[in-house]
Amino acid sequence: MTTNLQTGPVPGGRTAPPALEVRGLVKHYPGVKALDGVDLVVHQNEVLGLAGENGAGKSTLLKALVGLVRPDAGEIWVRGERVRLRSVVDAANHGLGMVFQEQSLVPNLTAAENIVLGSEGPGVRRGIYHWRTMRRLAQEQLDKIGSHIDPLARTDSLSFADRQMVEIAKVLRIEERTSHPPVIILDEPTSVLESKEIETLFTQVRRLREFASVVFVSHRLDEVLDVCDRVAVLRGGRSVGEVPAAGAAPAELHRMMIGSTGSDDHYHDGLAERSEEPGRPRLVVRGLSGRTFRDVDLEVRAGEIVGIVGVHGSGREDLCRALFGAEATTAGEVQLDGERLDLSGTRAACAAGIGYVPAERKTEGMVGPMSVADNMTLTKQQARCSGPLVRPRKQATLVDTWIERLSIRTPHRGTAIQRLSGGNQQKVVLARWLVSGDVRLLLLDHPTRGLDIGARSEVYRLMRELAGSGVATVLLADSLEEAIGMSDRIVVMSDGRATTEIAAPSGGKPTPLDLVKEMV
Amino acid sequence: MTSPAEADTEVVQARRPQPRRGVSLRDAGPPIALVVVFGVFAALSPGFRTLSNVQNVLDAAAVLAVVTIGISFVLMMGSIDLSAPGIMGASAITVALLVANNRNDNDLGFVGIAVAVLLAAGLGCLSGLALVLLKVPSFMATLGVSAVGLGLATLLFAGVQPNIADPMLEGWAVERFLGLAHLTWIALGCVLLGWLVQRYSRLGRYAFAIGGAEEVLALSGVRVAPYKVAVFTLAGAFYGLAGVMVTSQLSAGLVQAGRGYDFSAITAAVVGGTLLTGGRGGILHSTVGVLLVTVLTNGLVQVGVSPYWQGGVQGLIVVAAVAAAVIPQRRRNQVTK
Amino acid sequence: MSTPVLAQPASDAPVVARPTVGQRLTSFMPVIALVVLLAALTVVDPGFFTLSSLTAAVRTAAPLVVLAAGATVVVLCGGIDLSIAALCSLATVFFALWLPDLGGLTTLAIVAVAGAIGALQGVAHVLLRIPSFIVTLGGMSIFSAIALVISDAGPIPVSDRGTTHWLTLYVAGVLPMAFVVALVVVAVVSLVLRLTPVGSWVRAIGYSESAARLAGSPVDLVKVGAFTLSGACAGLAAVMLVSRNFSGSPTMADNLLLPAVAAIVVGGTAITGGHGSLWRSLAGALVVTLLRVGLPIVGVPSAYEQILYGAIIVAAVALTLDRSKVLIIK
Repeated sequence: MTTNLQTGPVPGGRTAPPALEVRGLVKHYPGVKALDGVDLVVHQNEVLGLAGENGAGKSTLLKALVGLVRPDAGEIWVRGERVRLRSVVDAANHGLGMVFQEQSLVPNLTAAENIVLGSEGPGVRRGIYHWRTMRRLAQEQLDKIGSHIDPLARTDSLSFADRQMVEIAKVLRIEERTSHPPVIILDEPTSVLESKEIETLFTQVRRLREFASVVFVSHRLDEVLDVCDRVAVLRGGRSVGEVPAAGAAPAELHRMMIGSTGSDDHYHDGLAERSEEPGRPRLVVRGLSGRTFRDVDLEVRAGEIVGIVGVHGSGREDLCRALFGAEATTAGEVQLDGERLDLSGTRAACAAGIGYVPAERKTEGMVGPMSVADNMTLTKQQARCSGPLVRPRKQATLVDTWIERLSIRTPHRGTAIQRLSGGNQQKVVLARWLVSGDVRLLLLDHPTRGLDIGARSEVYRLMRELAGSGVATVLLADSLEEAIGMSDRIVVMSDGRATTEIAAPSGGKPTPLDLVKEMV
Repeated sequence: MTSPAEADTEVVQARRPQPRRGVSLRDAGPPIALVVVFGVFAALSPGFRTLSNVQNVLDAAAVLAVVTIGISFVLMMGSIDLSAPGIMGASAITVALLVANNRNDNDLGFVGIAVAVLLAAGLGCLSGLALVLLKVPSFMATLGVSAVGLGLATLLFAGVQPNIADPMLEGWAVERFLGLAHLTWIALGCVLLGWLVQRYSRLGRYAFAIGGAEEVLALSGVRVAPYKVAVFTLAGAFYGLAGVMVTSQLSAGLVQAGRGYDFSAITAAVVGGTLLTGGRGGILHSTVGVLLVTVLTNGLVQVGVSPYWQGGVQGLIVVAAVAAAVIPQRRRNQVTK
Repeated sequence: MSTPVLAQPASDAPVVARPTVGQRLTSFMPVIALVVLLAALTVVDPGFFTLSSLTAAVRTAAPLVVLAAGATVVVLCGGIDLSIAALCSLATVFFALWLPDLGGLTTLAIVAVAGAIGALQGVAHVLLRIPSFIVTLGGMSIFSAIALVISDAGPIPVSDRGTTHWLTLYVAGVLPMAFVVALVVVAVVSLVLRLTPVGSWVRAIGYSESAARLAGSPVDLVKVGAFTLSGACAGLAAVMLVSRNFSGSPTMADNLLLPAVAAIVVGGTAITGGHGSLWRSLAGALVVTLLRVGLPIVGVPSAYEQILYGAIIVAAVALTLDRSKVLIIK
């Protein structure tokens, strides 16, 4: 990666310092190295694609670029000048602005107010609103991107695509703060848009290129190649290379994203020990409907791992929670080992032998200030009690056994779980369902989110072993590779429906592209 | 490098169908309820449908309206304010001791009123500071400030009730203009002022935005803490004025001047359509809520229900109104504290 | 079920953190405050540290201890019960009204009815998903109204003093029976929390309600239980008040709300839930009572009492709040 300020030719043939340059950016989180020396160059009037797997460090990098995360080491240069970004305002003053993935608009204000929020200028004089000026300011911004939204409409009455336009208009306000062309970062802007809206967005991105630089982040490689001039790839917190978009094939990018083919070996640990014979159907879902999913049929056999894949909004997370009784259902029936499953609440699900590992470990998976022991025995209280009374000795023996079996690294069983590293926390959360030995179905929602490679492979191994012992598993994987590597069968969900089912036996695994084709 | 001047010239300014800007059914509910409740009591009770009773209702609503306007700004932010009884008590005693009265030789008139309102604003500011500096949740901070206010009032009260002799302040409650007591006009003025603040001031709009998405404001580089303190201060000033108004009604300063007003005001605001989670509702909503609560209490008394039930009825309707607002949005794994 | 054995050790080391000085200090806060207060009062007035005045102090503290103990469990669950004082007042009226008919059973009936009323609030809270402070604020208003209506807004004298006589006795001649009862309540509830899964559930709900629910804890049941206990304790406190005042009145306990809340937070129970205990509230209630009886001794007018409550509530909440849990404080 070059650190030369006078970098190569820019589209348009001019030579200028890059609009934005990142050198050796490093950011540690407890137990995880989110950024491990990232280098990146964005030229003026260029659309740079940023690609990478979940956990590659994309979002940390973007947050560092707009002052939401302070890097531990490394430099950020804007137009040949080194900058320190302490806040979003700082970043905006240097001409860096981001359109956030979860939209960052105040829903109960008008579009105009959102556009000028924090930089009202003449729109507010001595604390008094001048609605007409406000409207004019907002209209100017909307005109820049050719949007016809009524500036005085309440933001929550607009469609998602329109809100995104408002957000872009808002980000463009940073032009008022600097005399230079801005750098606009779009974080997964297409994830919830329909194809027509995506076309409009792409038109906008090309229009932005006329007067700004754009960093475009998306997990859809075809999109990235379609709209960008150049694509940079991150993996494991490092820049692993970049390609010009013209002429690049998605497959090539993809190989860069996941690294050498040998790297997914850890998915296959313990594969040999598994019997290939399918067990009897354990979970049978018929026509299940809920808030975000409709008419889902699903079958999981004992000892089988079924991955469910789908883009944001596919409804797979809610389906998973509904099976655990944590989300209401409106129709359909679920059977577990031939018996009708009570979906009325989480308690019933636990009693039926269902275990659930939520994606949000810190807020939903564990009770941070409570001890490892109490977290582990929170669900299966009978495992530590005799009659109605807790037996501390019984609990200690049980918990110590599982700490050893899962090699959970903790100073003591009485240590608060929040002091453990992410991987060990997750093992405690998993152990919660195993202590009484009656778990029949495990629902794993992003069980490896935020874990480093070592901790991940331990979780994978544990999943394999559980499957080997006959536990049925539903896996919402962190990445397509994980889904492919871990699952025996993959169900694709799209728009709340289970659309396709793809067999993924060891030796006959589909490729990520096979899945992507079905997902969109 | 050029700026985006030429970015967009050929685009035709076509207006699409206008998205919703105006009144929704949710906003229309409370006014409809007001009309219905009014109609029912008018049909039930001959005493209710007299002109003088309508005047009574409006006059009775005056103090509650001022308190409710204050609390509405706090509720709009998603916070809560239980400090009205303490602040009103402190301001009531203060004003009674500063205008002409039987305890001392003060005769400050308007200045006395201003001092009382300022003191109240200061107490409100205290709640705000406890919230943003000490990070004490507002319901606890304001509970504490209410106790402080009551303590101040008790200290100033010193065992002897101050009866006021200031003709202007006494006149507020009894003299009428166009059939309504001066207090009622003051309340109407406060409604107007509150509406203007909500609609045209950065303070009001940011209070609204804080209730909508506080984190977004921070992301946009807005420092919310000063606005929060300002909102609690503004609310305190309104409570202070309400305390002065109660003193005018009673011709005396009482420590308990604000007793129960915190809850009545929350009831009125919630019934008017303000959500406790913030970001929805406003001054006009709250005003309708105040009228609804007052008509209900007045009407119940007119049809022969014991006035002691007043608080009970308010308790029931606030629980019902909050439940009605919450139930459509509730989810299974939702956290309710 | 097989026994998965993982040979490979975890790659990441545990993150070790020690409690901060502030955390340590707040965990001893109630006891320190109690000792300091006692010492200070003894210095100012050497006559204070005598058996008779201490006995009088704990006797006064008994209803407050019981009220605070019940509400503590609600706070541990992350909620708040603002209705305890109003419910207690209502219960004194019930007691005075029912005593002639029920006789010796009145005490039990009052505790049961108050518990049922508390349970009703709990059910409204969990079923309608209304924040607990609104439910109980509404409850406060409703209970006051009922008490005013059925008592006709005045005190009702209790002529039959035999029923509550036992509460005015002294154990071993020095320890007031009412305080012993309060201690028993604290001890029994604490033991239940410690020795049964309920304690785990309460703490899990308080620290992280959604994690508790997703771990299959009986969240709704435990919360209703907490409000039931809070109500029942308000009933018991009412009986204690009647035994002292020989009457029931619709406003008798109203001024106990702030001291009770103060007792809980001064004890160091976090208003955000999870962290705390009933013993802490016991110590907190004694601190509050000492403050109340101590102010006149050091020559501060009792009018400062309220200001003091306000200040210590805010200060104690600020010290004990779990800030990591609430990113945005409303």
